[in-house]
Amino acid sequence: MTALPFESIIGAWVATGLTLLIFSFLYKDNPLFKLAEHLYVGVSVGYVIVKTYDTVIIHLVVKPIVENGEIALLIPVAIGMLMLTRYVPKAAWMSRYAFAFIVGMGAGLAIPRTVSSFILKQVEDTIRPLLSMAGSEGVTFSMNLLNPASHLNAIIILLGVSSVLFYFFFSIEHSGVGKAVARTGILFLMISFGAGFGYTVMARMSLLIGRLTDLIEFSDASYGRPTVWLSLLTVGALFLLARRSREQPPDIH
Amino acid sequence: MAGMTFSEKMLKIDRRIIFLMIGLCTLLPLLYPVGLPIKISSEVRGVYDHIESLPEQSVFLLSIDFDPASKPELYPQAIALLRHAFRKHLRVVTMTLWVSGTGMADQLVTQVAKEMGKEYGTDYAFLGWSPGGQAVIINMGQDLYSAFPSDYSGKSTKGLPVLDGVRSLKDVGYMVSLGAGRPGVEEWYVFGKDKYKFELGGGCTGVMAPGLYPLLRSGQINGLIGGLRGAAEYENLIGQKGKAVAGMDAQSATHLAIIALVIMCNLFYFSLRQQRG
Repeated sequence: MTALPFESIIGAWVATGLTLLIFSFLYKDNPLFKLAEHLYVGVSVGYVIVKTYDTVIIHLVVKPIVENGEIALLIPVAIGMLMLTRYVPKAAWMSRYAFAFIVGMGAGLAIPRTVSSFILKQVEDTIRPLLSMAGSEGVTFSMNLLNPASHLNAIIILLGVSSVLFYFFFSIEHSGVGKAVARTGILFLMISFGAGFGYTVMARMSLLIGRLTDLIEFSDASYGRPTVWLSLLTVGALFLLARRSREQPPDIH
Repeated sequence: MAGMTFSEKMLKIDRRIIFLMIGLCTLLPLLYPVGLPIKISSEVRGVYDHIESLPEQSVFLLSIDFDPASKPELYPQAIALLRHAFRKHLRVVTMTLWVSGTGMADQLVTQVAKEMGKEYGTDYAFLGWSPGGQAVIINMGQDLYSAFPSDYSGKSTKGLPVLDGVRSLKDVGYMVSLGAGRPGVEEWYVFGKDKYKFELGGGCTGVMAPGLYPLLRSGQINGLIGGLRGAAEYENLIGQKGKAVAGMDAQSATHLAIIALVIMCNLFYFSLRQQRG
């Protein structure tokens, strides 16, 4: 068996330790969990700052200007620098030009594309399957519920879209037929929330599976069994912390 | 607890007992797998079939739009996709729109390429991260080299053989975004495919999957790999079982446990309500 590289072993011990510290929250809130939580936030922010500095400032700004003489890059740099004027109260108004540029450009790019992709395309897709019922061989209708492209499913989708839209239309009182349509809308919304919740449970369980898979892998002798040793250490630390808090109850005043 | 009915006791059960139960339901199948069958869904097959249909040396762009927080779900998807693309001898170009996922993406691509015996620059490349999110996609649609003048290691992208004949997103044979949020699959459709007309597939976390089904149904994306389950299906399709397939027994066991808990909670709740009249 080939020995694992030293960095892999260190990585396994750090990952196992931090996983167990975070899991200790399941017992109760404690300083070990807080330590891991703060480490996570600190390391994430530090990593993002360093990568952003290296990629943006060094590789996309400094190097092209100094090495390739791309002076035009000074224009976006100047607009970006205007953001920093927010820290100088007298010059803070200048930052509005930078924000105006960002908001204007962002809205200009996003609005037409979003309308096209999420409204027009979706409306088209809600209507098109119904139009396909009338073909060259007369009117056809497929009833297969398991086929997402069937005409029956197209009608269910149309019903869902219309009733949910009606449910959110508050200018008419939801009574009589309107009440029935709004109730149908609620039913569709409930099914949608249920599907969303089901997928969310699946996702959260996947995260747990991921951590446990790693813990099982790191219980191997080639890593030095960090899972075993650090589990014992974490349980011992939690026991000591619990005993200390019993001896010194927290001051509630 | 004295004087409480059974239903009351059960509804006020220490939540740590539930955590322990879920933990055991996850751990035991991981230690002693049963190998429950995995059915392949049409949405996962959509991505697989499209990659299968690509001729050798086509350009496959994979955007690894997630960070280590979503690793358990999306990492197996990325590994399975890369193995498939390398096996088909596609030219694999990878990148990320998430700065916090840069190091992980580099490690992932390097690891799979090494395993498949692929050479950097000729068979694959990792372009790294570029700031701007949706603006990067638009920029790539106009000129890929302007969005990524250099790759992750700092080499000029213009000289890379893997990018021969590729000027913009229009020259990409197939593109898959594995997204854990924004920017992700939706942005690649809105600012990429809708404008520059290339074939797009998606992979996402379980939480995001229901929101992407409308795009799938309307044909805006041609396939969708959802969560760990989707990754397991893809691993089955390529015949290389990995961490996702290994996790499926645990996933099924925890789902059963949660369904049982939901049913029991409802039963206890209604029985308590009946007792109180």
